[in-house]
Amino acid sequence: MWILRMNMTNRSYQLEKAPERYKLLGGRGLTSAIISDEVDPQCHPLGPNNKLVFAPGIVTGTISPTSARISVGGKSPLTGGIKEANAGTGMAPALAKMRLKAVIIEGMPKEADKYWLAALTWAGDKPKVEFQPADEYTGQDLYEVYAKVFDRFGKKVEVAGIGTAGEFGYGDSGIAFNDMKKKPTRYAGRGGLGAVMGSKRLKFLVVDSTGAPGVVIANEELLKTGAKKMREALMEHAITKPQGGLNSYGTAILVNILNEAGGFPTRNFRSGRFEGAAKISGEAIFETNKKRMGKEIYNHGCSPGCIIQCSNTLYAKDRSEIASCVEYESGWAFGAQCGIADLDAIGEMVKLCNAYGLDTIEAGVTVGVAMDSGVLPFGDKKGAIKLLKEMGKGTPMGRILGGGAEMAAKLYGNPRSPTVKGQAMPAYEPRAVKGIGVTYATTTMGADHTAGYTIAPEILSVGGTSDPLAAEKSKADLSRGFQSTTAMIDSSGHCLFIAFAILDIPKGFEGLLDELNGMLGTKMTAADAVAMGADILRRERKFNEAAGFTKADDRLPEFMKYEKLPPHNVTNDLPDEVFDAVFGEM
Amino acid sequence: MILGKTILTAYLGARHAVPLPNGGTMIKIDVWLYGPLARYGNSSDNIFANPQVEIPEGSVLRDLLARLALPTAERGISFINGNLSAMPGVQPDLDHVLNDGDRVALFHLKSMWPFQYRHDVAAIGEFKTSLARRGDGGLRSRYD
Repeated sequence: MWILRMNMTNRSYQLEKAPERYKLLGGRGLTSAIISDEVDPQCHPLGPNNKLVFAPGIVTGTISPTSARISVGGKSPLTGGIKEANAGTGMAPALAKMRLKAVIIEGMPKEADKYWLAALTWAGDKPKVEFQPADEYTGQDLYEVYAKVFDRFGKKVEVAGIGTAGEFGYGDSGIAFNDMKKKPTRYAGRGGLGAVMGSKRLKFLVVDSTGAPGVVIANEELLKTGAKKMREALMEHAITKPQGGLNSYGTAILVNILNEAGGFPTRNFRSGRFEGAAKISGEAIFETNKKRMGKEIYNHGCSPGCIIQCSNTLYAKDRSEIASCVEYESGWAFGAQCGIADLDAIGEMVKLCNAYGLDTIEAGVTVGVAMDSGVLPFGDKKGAIKLLKEMGKGTPMGRILGGGAEMAAKLYGNPRSPTVKGQAMPAYEPRAVKGIGVTYATTTMGADHTAGYTIAPEILSVGGTSDPLAAEKSKADLSRGFQSTTAMIDSSGHCLFIAFAILDIPKGFEGLLDELNGMLGTKMTAADAVAMGADILRRERKFNEAAGFTKADDRLPEFMKYEKLPPHNVTNDLPDEVFDAVFGEM
Repeated sequence: MILGKTILTAYLGARHAVPLPNGGTMIKIDVWLYGPLARYGNSSDNIFANPQVEIPEGSVLRDLLARLALPTAERGISFINGNLSAMPGVQPDLDHVLNDGDRVALFHLKSMWPFQYRHDVAAIGEFKTSLARRGDGGLRSRYD
């Protein structure tokens, strides 16, 4: 197994044997380890000393289902802390099959006005890289540019790239990966990693794994056993099975649920309920497509080998594709957050984000902050679309908003900045869903809804068994447990949505352990796997502390303490000790 | 039943609890039916229905379901006034007494709500008690 190091200062590369200490790491565990080992926590995220790391997960590239995730790590220009964002895409197994544990992008060209692409191929017995000028692809719509890149390199390649948002150095820029139709719709979206890639003047990473030997598996039988258990659990669970909840309605199935719970942030977190929610829900997307296409359209997979297949497509009246994928959080960001109840307008904004290389969550929350600051009225869909276009084109207003929600709130003198560590909160109101508030406040990533997923209770030590969820201390214990197990899943290469199957079906979790042990030749127990996740958090936390974060950064925005959120009229009333206990006791 | 329907029709559109001829009172419930459950609210679009349903004072959720002709096995995640009251496999809300103006929301069985995104949300007392009695404290994505 290798680590591939590309130096953008002089466009050179070297293949290094992966060090022993990285042997059991993959995905987020590996990107965070490399960033911790090699990047000065005090460096400027867009300067020459930051690095960008791509790493497929531990079981990625095997027959294990729903495991084609790739993690991207670096120091975030949005938060100033460590960042890992991951996506489901064919590039993940492509790198794994070339026996690359990680690709590290470092250095920075002297000529700031030239962009490059790195073409990675398999050269008989090892990977090979060629750097080529990429100036012809800059400043344009990514849908058009991806089509050109696939014309040039063929449909067999996998592409990671940045749009104009990354070229402009925005805090809300993501890294785009191609979907199964080779369109730029799968994002390692959060934290401005697109800007880090842009700062290194790397426009595209193009991977052709043709001829690559495939992954090395320590115990193939055990891995197969594990993958079989995982597959059965995913096929059995009502949420993850074919034509189940996620395959039918996508993640947008959560719109009406959170709205009824009073936890659907509306008009820049002024209310927990949006009167237009039902019109922009997963049910509405499904039925709108059915009406327009004349048949039921079930969702598709973002990447090869997925059983869950939760990615939707929104179709227009003329049956053309408006956008894929209208995720719950994306639909929320341009919907309730901006007071917009128009599905087609929301779809257009998602498409614009894909075209410009923007993180839909950060971009949508920022537009909502602009509305809340009087720049335009809530509900102004034409105005919202115009602001996104300004971001994509890099007008002065666009560049202000490209800095993200906290930057926009600061520039407009608005104390209502729904952010933690500089990153915008996604679509779950922490005053109403108090459990996620603890995770938003304390995760190393800045407010992040994927930082604390659930896991089987028997492997968590949540304290007393009589009422483990009631005591305030247990909120911290639970959040720590969720964050640790999530870091473990983020390292495995699996999508977080396996959590349903491994939480509710014992053989699902057994399958995960068998897969990991089969791949690595280890004898990890459930407790060991969770400990692996906790180690990752400790490392990330240490990086953030060295970058200047203190426990004062592990807080929800102040306005959530004094503004009551309708309809439950709740505030964030958790004592600071709860937030401090999450990492204070690790 | 026919009499009941006549009374219901007679009081349709009333804004507040209304006294009944027999001394009882009707209350109005703001019902939200999502996805395929919309058909129980006379909507064929499968997206949502929002009927305003009148039932006698003192009615419980079970009575409302009967009034809607909605079998309780067809519903999953449920709310009463934004308070979680049921999940697939756990329905401790059937005998919950409804009040005039209550908002009742019922979801179809394809709905889901990951634990993390509902941890510590508002719930009715019966639901909290029901989860607390479970060995896992409710830390599941579904309970069926």
